[in-house]
Amino acid sequence: MTLTKRKILNLILSIVLWVFAAVWFVPIFWMFTTSLKQSTLATSEYPPQWIPKNPTLDNYRMIFAPASGISVLQGIKNSLLVAGASTFLGLVVAIPAAYALSRLRFKGRNAILWMYIAILAFPGIIFLIPQYFIIHRLGLMDTFWALILPGLGGTFGVFLLRQYMLGIPRELEDAAWIDGCSRLRFLLTIVIPYIKPAIFVLALMSFLGSWNSFLWPLLVLTSPNKYTLPIALVRFSAGWGDPYRGIGTLMAGAFVSVAPTILLFLIFHKYLLQGIYIGTVGKE
Amino acid sequence: MKSQQEVLRVSVETERELKLLRIKRILRREVGAWGFLLPHFFFFILFIAIPLIYGLTMSFYNWTLIGETRYVGLENYSRVWSDSRFWMAVKNTVIFAIISIPLVMGVALAYALLLSKKWYGRLWLMTAFVAPTFFSSVGVLTSWRWILGSHRAGLMNYYLTRLGILKEPISWFATSTRAWACIIGVTVWWIVGFSILLYIGALQRIPPEQYEAARIDGAGRWAQFWYITLPWMRNVLFFDVIRQVLLAFGLFDQVYFFTGGGPAGRTRTMVYYLYMVGFERQQLGRAAAISWYMFMIIFGFALINLFVLLKTVRAGAEG
Repeated sequence: MTLTKRKILNLILSIVLWVFAAVWFVPIFWMFTTSLKQSTLATSEYPPQWIPKNPTLDNYRMIFAPASGISVLQGIKNSLLVAGASTFLGLVVAIPAAYALSRLRFKGRNAILWMYIAILAFPGIIFLIPQYFIIHRLGLMDTFWALILPGLGGTFGVFLLRQYMLGIPRELEDAAWIDGCSRLRFLLTIVIPYIKPAIFVLALMSFLGSWNSFLWPLLVLTSPNKYTLPIALVRFSAGWGDPYRGIGTLMAGAFVSVAPTILLFLIFHKYLLQGIYIGTVGKE
Repeated sequence: MKSQQEVLRVSVETERELKLLRIKRILRREVGAWGFLLPHFFFFILFIAIPLIYGLTMSFYNWTLIGETRYVGLENYSRVWSDSRFWMAVKNTVIFAIISIPLVMGVALAYALLLSKKWYGRLWLMTAFVAPTFFSSVGVLTSWRWILGSHRAGLMNYYLTRLGILKEPISWFATSTRAWACIIGVTVWWIVGFSILLYIGALQRIPPEQYEAARIDGAGRWAQFWYITLPWMRNVLFFDVIRQVLLAFGLFDQVYFFTGGGPAGRTRTMVYYLYMVGFERQQLGRAAAISWYMFMIIFGFALINLFVLLKTVRAGAEG
C-alpha cells in the first residue's frame, strides 16, 4: 500500500518536473516552432503561435538550397569537416602523449607533466593574440588548418586521458611485458579499450567544442565558402537592418546547429556522466 | 696461456657488448617514450609555448599585421592603464563574475540534488537541464535574442505582460541593468549543465551508509546536506569554482550577440575590449598587453586552480 502510494507521489512529482523542464527548454521549442513559420508571419503575428497555422519547410529549403550569398549548407559541411578532423587528430596526438606521461618512465617526464598541468591554469585569452599572429605568419589564415592545428597543442585532453590511464592495473602491464608485447601494441590492444569511456568523452567534448566555436573562426576565416556553421549563421543575418527580417530561416539554421548535439547527448549521456567526473576530478 | 688470454679478451668483449646493449636498451626506452610524446609536444610548443613567449614580446611593441613593428617599451601597458574604457570593462567583468558564479553553482547544485534521485522519464529531465551546455552559442543566443525581442509578441514580453508583471512591452537590452540581467540569466541557462554533470558524478560517489548513519543519529535533511553532502563534494566544487572563474572572465559571445557592448559600453567585458582593440583596430601589441593585464587579474584565481589540480593529480595517482 505504502509502496504504491509512494509510486503515485513519485509519478506526480515527476510530471511536475517534466513541465518545469519543458519551460526550461522553451528556447529550443520556440526556435523549432519559428523555423516552421514564414518570417513575415513570425514577426507580425499576435499573440505568438505555438503551433504554426500554415507550417512550411521553406526555411529549411532556403538553407539547403540557398538562392544567393552565404550558404548555410556549406557551413554545415565545413563544420563537420573541421570538427571531425580536430577530434580525430586531437585523439591521435593526445592518446600516445597521455600514455607516455602516465605509464612510461623517461628523462624529463615530470617536468613536462607539470608544464602541461600548469598551462591548464592559464586563461585561454592569453593565447588568442599570439596564436592569431602565428597562424598569420604560417600563411594559414583563412584555411581550415587555422581552425584545426592550434587545438592540437591543448593539454586538457592529455590530462583527462592520463587520469584514466593511471587506473590501469600494473599487473596487466607486467603480464603483457612478459609476453613480449611491445609498448605500441600494448597501447593499441590494452590501453585504448580500457580507457574507451574517456576517449568517448574527450571525442565528444572536442567535437562539440569545435562545432560550437565562435570567436576564433570569426577572426581567422574571411572567405564565405569556408565559413563554419556559426559564422555562416551570423554573417547570414549580419546585413539586415531589421534583425528579425529572416527570423524563420535564421531559426532553421540555429535548429540545425543544435539538433545534432541533442542527438549526441541522448546517445552518450551515460558516458558523459561518468567520464567528465573521473577525467577532471579523479577516480575517488 | 694463449687460450686464457683469448678467454679474457672474449669476456671483456662480451662485457663491453653487454654494456652497449644496456645503453642501447635505455636509449631505445627513452627515445621510444619520447616518440609517443613528440607529436603532441610539437603542437604544444608551436601553439602554446611559443605563443606564450610571443605574446609577452608583442606587448612591448607597436605590432600590427601589415605595418612596421616598433619597440615601444611599456607604452602599451601605460596606454591601457590610463584608458577609462579598460577599467569599465574590468569592473563589468568582475561584477559579472561575482554574480554569475555563485548563481550558476547554486542552481547546478539544486538540479544535481534533484536529478540524482529516481524519477520517471529522467532522461528527458537530463536532456532539458544538461544538454544546453553543449549547444552552440549561435543557436542558443539567436534564439534567446528572438525571445527577448522588444516587440509586444516577443515571447518574454508577451508572457510577462499577460501575467501582469510588465505593464507594457519593454526593450530588454536598453538599460545596462536590464541587459546584464538578461546576459546573466541566459548564461545560467546555458552553462549550468556541465556543472550539473560534475556534481551528479560527485553525489553518486557518496556512500549511502553515511546518510543511514546520520539518520540513525537523528540528523535532519539540512544537517545531512551540511555535514555529509558538502564535505564530500569539496573537491568537485573547488574544481568547478576555478572553471567558472576562467569561463566568467572569458565572457564574449553573449555580449557580442545581445548588446555589442552597449548601452554606452556598459556591458563591454574584458575580452570584448580586447577584441575591439586587437581586431577591430588591428593593434595586436596593445591587445597582447591587455591580455597580460587580464592574466594578472586572473592570476590569483589561477594559483588556486593549480593547487586544486595538484590535489586532483595526487588523488588520481593514489586512486
